Amino acid sequence: MNTPAPANPFEQLAYNIALQIHDGMIVYVGTGLPMVGAMLAKKTHAPHITLVYESGGQDPWEGPMPWSVGGAATFRRAPMSMEMAHSFAMAANGFVDIAFQGAAQIDMYGNLNTHLIGGDFHNFKARLTGSGGGNDLSSLSETFVLVGLQDPSKFPLKLDFMTSPGFLSGGNSRMEAGLLGKGPQSVVTQIGVMDFEPESKRMRIKGLNPYCTAEIAQMCTSFELLVPETIEEIPAPPDDVLRVLREDVDPHKIFIEFPPRVK
Amino acid sequence: MPSKFFYNEEALENLRIADPSVLDRLIDHESHRENNLKKSRLKEDKRMSLHDAIAKFVDDGDIVADSGFSYVRTPLQAHFEIWRQGRKNLSYIGSPNTLHSFAVFGGNCNATHNSYCGAEMRGTDRQFSRSVKAGKTKILSEWSHGSMGLGFKAAQYGEPYVAAHQLLGTDMMKYNPYVKEVKDPWTGKPVCLIPALHPDVCIIHCQQADMYGNAKIVGPAVNDIAEAFASRKVIITCEEVVPELSMRFDNSNVVIPFMIVDAVVELPFGCMPGSCPGYYYWAREWWEWLMRIATKDEACMQDFYNIWVLGCKNQYELMDRLAKDMGGYAYIDHLRRLEKAEEYLIEDSGVDFTYEPVIPIWD
Repeated sequence: MNTPAPANPFEQLAYNIALQIHDGMIVYVGTGLPMVGAMLAKKTHAPHITLVYESGGQDPWEGPMPWSVGGAATFRRAPMSMEMAHSFAMAANGFVDIAFQGAAQIDMYGNLNTHLIGGDFHNFKARLTGSGGGNDLSSLSETFVLVGLQDPSKFPLKLDFMTSPGFLSGGNSRMEAGLLGKGPQSVVTQIGVMDFEPESKRMRIKGLNPYCTAEIAQMCTSFELLVPETIEEIPAPPDDVLRVLREDVDPHKIFIEFPPRVK
Repeated sequence: MPSKFFYNEEALENLRIADPSVLDRLIDHESHRENNLKKSRLKEDKRMSLHDAIAKFVDDGDIVADSGFSYVRTPLQAHFEIWRQGRKNLSYIGSPNTLHSFAVFGGNCNATHNSYCGAEMRGTDRQFSRSVKAGKTKILSEWSHGSMGLGFKAAQYGEPYVAAHQLLGTDMMKYNPYVKEVKDPWTGKPVCLIPALHPDVCIIHCQQADMYGNAKIVGPAVNDIAEAFASRKVIITCEEVVPELSMRFDNSNVVIPFMIVDAVVELPFGCMPGSCPGYYYWAREWWEWLMRIATKDEACMQDFYNIWVLGCKNQYELMDRLAKDMGGYAYIDHLRRLEKAEEYLIEDSGVDFTYEPVIPIWD
């Protein structure tokens, strides 16, 4: 069998997302690359995970990747589907082990902005979607993973708007605010994986993708990243995983084509 | 005008709401109850045309609930009809509330209770961004899906509010005049109080209903059950009107009882060009064209709106146009097969899910 071409940045990202998921978990899946990562995990190392979607779909029968988190693949032959308030209540009641979130901006405490970029609430460069289920998952899930492409504008010193909570202002501030769960466990980007230092709750490098360095990670970030004594080397996805990703998970290259067809 | 209720002052200031009385009706349970007490108790034939249902039950200035999930079981055709009939000064609320961006564009809606306006990976709604910036719609409150869902649930259960764990600690608390942070009287920890939310009118597309208004929802109900109970006026549009006896012999998925319903509209393909579980898939190209091309500037958006909203009298004219652009009746039939295959109601191994995505050349 031919050796597949090396992973592109999106494929590496999908693989890193998949590695955040352990077998047996209940996984709350958002749209985009997290969907790809979750499907990849289910088809490789974590076949016993249960997928839950915000529109109410849960535990769908295996099939094509959803085109939307409200689409037929999210409730395909599902034993039951629920209401939106119930699906977030599952998170509040401790039935969501991990959730994934993308954002336009992520700050050093893992707080997220999906509202606007450039300016303030009334005078902005672009108004974005708003919270959707983002604030709920960040507030209620046992833990969650932030997913994004890392560059200085997307990892700013200060968010233009704080839509969803990470560790707020660090330390114990998240718990004191009355939020549930442990807060974000990691940030997965094209550079590698960051976690949060346990005391200050500031973002720090945990592992780097092949060919990435701590200097590159810092150059892609507007705030100071903490650097631990040892940094893990994240492996490239193995050939068999890459094949599953390309042939079974996203065969039409909707999410993993690089460069992307639509910006 | 003095407001009837007490709102979060910081949020009023941040949102620049000079007259907070505009916020009152959404949380006015008293008027909701009075309205319900006046509703007919009779089990009577409530069927009427879409035109008549909208003319009778959607008034200028109403708070309209956006139901379904952006493009899944959303009564798009009913909303297009509201806009074609030229209702003014509507406000929209919903989780998501993707649809309302086009009501703002058409001049029908001038106030927004926002949770999520967009279409996931299909692209950003640049039209909504422009509309907000130009002041064509006033954002009255910012919500998350879960917090708004709880507001509808509180209304469904007849409670004044619920205490919740979300929104706390973020800017969301500062841009929503309805919610309040208080100390939980039992634990002493901070909680967020979310009031019961009562839209004026809610339109829900169901797979099946009977002539009295008993209605079945198949697939995720999203917020629709709660919204129906929360709203002062309820219009059901449905793929099929079935005999009442069929609801009695198989009552699975019956989630809306007749007494809360004002009108029943038999409206096959009422979610077009969105999807209806069990019946048809999205016209994916249409949505990508809308998000990636039409929202680019006002002129593109106007063309799109003229063709698909103003230029089509009903769902069949829209489907004629869609078929004309996309390859005839085979395309419409393909949408039916795609939905059933993705739900695994039919054998899916022979069904081709590939399509040509709409990729604008300027990107």
